Amino acid sequence: MITEFLTIPGVLLLLGCFLLPLLPQKVRSTAFLIFPVAALALIMMRPDGFTITGVIGSYDLVLFQMDALSRVFGMIFAITGLTAGIYAWHIKDLSQQIAALGYMGGAMGVAFAGDLFTLIVYWEIMAITSVVLIWARGTDESIKAGMRYLIYHVLGGGLFFAGILWHFSQTGSLAVESLDYEFTIANMLMLLGVSVNAAVIPFHTWLSDSYPKATITGAIFMAAFTTKTAVYVMIRMFPGWEILIWFGIVMTLYGIFYAVVCKDIREILSYHIISQVGYMVVAIGVGTDMALNGSAAHAYNNLLYKGLMFMAGGAVMYAAGTSRLAKLGGLGKKMKWVFALYVVGGFSISGLPLFAGFISKGMIIDGAGYAGYEGMMLLLLLAGVGTFLSVGLKLPYFTWVYDAGNKIDLKPIPINMYIAMGLSAFLCIFYGVYPNALYTFLPHEMDYNPYTIYHFVEIMQISLGTFVVFWYFREKLKGKMVLVLDLDWIYRKAAPATRLVFVKGVNDFFGVAEKWILNSANYLNRKFDNPMPWLNPFTDKKNKADRYSSSMEVIMSFIVLSFLVLSIFYLM
Amino acid sequence: MNNKIWIALGLLFLITLGFEFTVLADYDSHWWNAIPAFYAILGLVGCVLIVYVAKFISKKFLNRDIDYYDN
Repeated sequence: MITEFLTIPGVLLLLGCFLLPLLPQKVRSTAFLIFPVAALALIMMRPDGFTITGVIGSYDLVLFQMDALSRVFGMIFAITGLTAGIYAWHIKDLSQQIAALGYMGGAMGVAFAGDLFTLIVYWEIMAITSVVLIWARGTDESIKAGMRYLIYHVLGGGLFFAGILWHFSQTGSLAVESLDYEFTIANMLMLLGVSVNAAVIPFHTWLSDSYPKATITGAIFMAAFTTKTAVYVMIRMFPGWEILIWFGIVMTLYGIFYAVVCKDIREILSYHIISQVGYMVVAIGVGTDMALNGSAAHAYNNLLYKGLMFMAGGAVMYAAGTSRLAKLGGLGKKMKWVFALYVVGGFSISGLPLFAGFISKGMIIDGAGYAGYEGMMLLLLLAGVGTFLSVGLKLPYFTWVYDAGNKIDLKPIPINMYIAMGLSAFLCIFYGVYPNALYTFLPHEMDYNPYTIYHFVEIMQISLGTFVVFWYFREKLKGKMVLVLDLDWIYRKAAPATRLVFVKGVNDFFGVAEKWILNSANYLNRKFDNPMPWLNPFTDKKNKADRYSSSMEVIMSFIVLSFLVLSIFYLM
Repeated sequence: MNNKIWIALGLLFLITLGFEFTVLADYDSHWWNAIPAFYAILGLVGCVLIVYVAKFISKKFLNRDIDYYDN
């Protein structure tokens, strides 16, 4: 029984958090890699429909449940965990290693949770462990950003949990299953909670605020797990919720807008995560088999190439000590491998043929088109233009090609970083060239071939058009030392006002109320200490309430009599 | 950027245009398939639109000094 529990990937990885500190420092980074590999093996071993159940109190919990959708997400979480683990192999910081392993365990647990209680436990583990990866950077701004991140996720997790409890009390079901498209309070709370983790606008600021401030290696893990587990839960619980199409479209374009105007490698990539998750959210809203497959496939590919891009950006930051475009430039000769590997990621995300993005992005866009959302399809294509412009052209151009005349001393990059990037780049090209390697694992049956002439013409023309405009306007997108405001302004810069309303206002209200209640209690206490003098104006003022007096006897008798009469009436 | 790359890109565009008028001549799953080189136009116009709108909004409303939140 116990050994069976240990074969749950989430449990296995969380157990690793306790084993890792017991190992000597030298082997710890290598031992870390065993866990995602073991988890991947366990995932591939289990057949569809396999479950592990347990009982806690009077609740029957499904601790592990395997089906095609869970498998595809579990696989990519394990692969990303492995590549990110290789990338972070040179890090000796135990707290980061434990946090990353626990974070991975949380994500894996969510992907295989068979009931909502199990799911929310892993969900919260993810929030708590991931914040360590921000704090580990150690700078003042990352500690503050980590706190904001934690508060946001505690709020989101709380909303989700409240929704689950409400849902359970109404339906009695804890199953992770698709919900009817009804705006009940329980559904709204759960959707809101999941939306926070999926970085749906306007709940996205935790992402763009904290990811650029995390450690170089921590950011790779963060870019992978939180938003994609939210996408997984959305595919499970909210497929075909039409409102998600609109949310998703706003996310894709909003992310693109900020990716175009931001001037820091990791900020650009962070905002671009929001845009990419937007594609997946649109597909979940469309809800057809093809669109849902597209959403899962895009999440899968996105982990590969977004991870690769974060790794390349991190390598630049590691070598040059900064990720601001204004302080970089002309690194193409000195870092040609990192440049080449980044370009693989950039081409993948832009959906160029032979790269991973090509095989999944088209599924989402065509899925929207086939379902009759042609306007949406054009907006998604427009977002694709922005993708190629911002992360396919602008970011690499101003990092590696354009020479701003900055004198940059480069630190050599550890070899393990190259291995991790090389592995990711290989997988990007592998799935791009051989899409069926991914398609066979997708949850729904479908007949889709990305390599059609129409598709080729479509993406090549869009990319060529975008490239020409970029080349003509490239000076306009040059790196500057500038900060671009976002909605986190509300709780950062407007903190005094926010505090006035939500902290001081509430505090003052309670203060006044408390004072009033105490004063009135005092007053009543004084008055009723000796009520005779004011109850009966004819008594002696010195009359004591606790001593016998004839007037007291009259009052008491009257009260007793009233009780008697009332009870007789009641009995009749 | 040297001319060879531009020529290569131009050739690539001509190839896609060639496909549009031969293999894809009868293809009409969307209304815009009737417009020749529609996707290239989308790329050009969309990109100009994104650059200008994004620059305008960020310059007018959103850009601040790098240490804005520290003060």
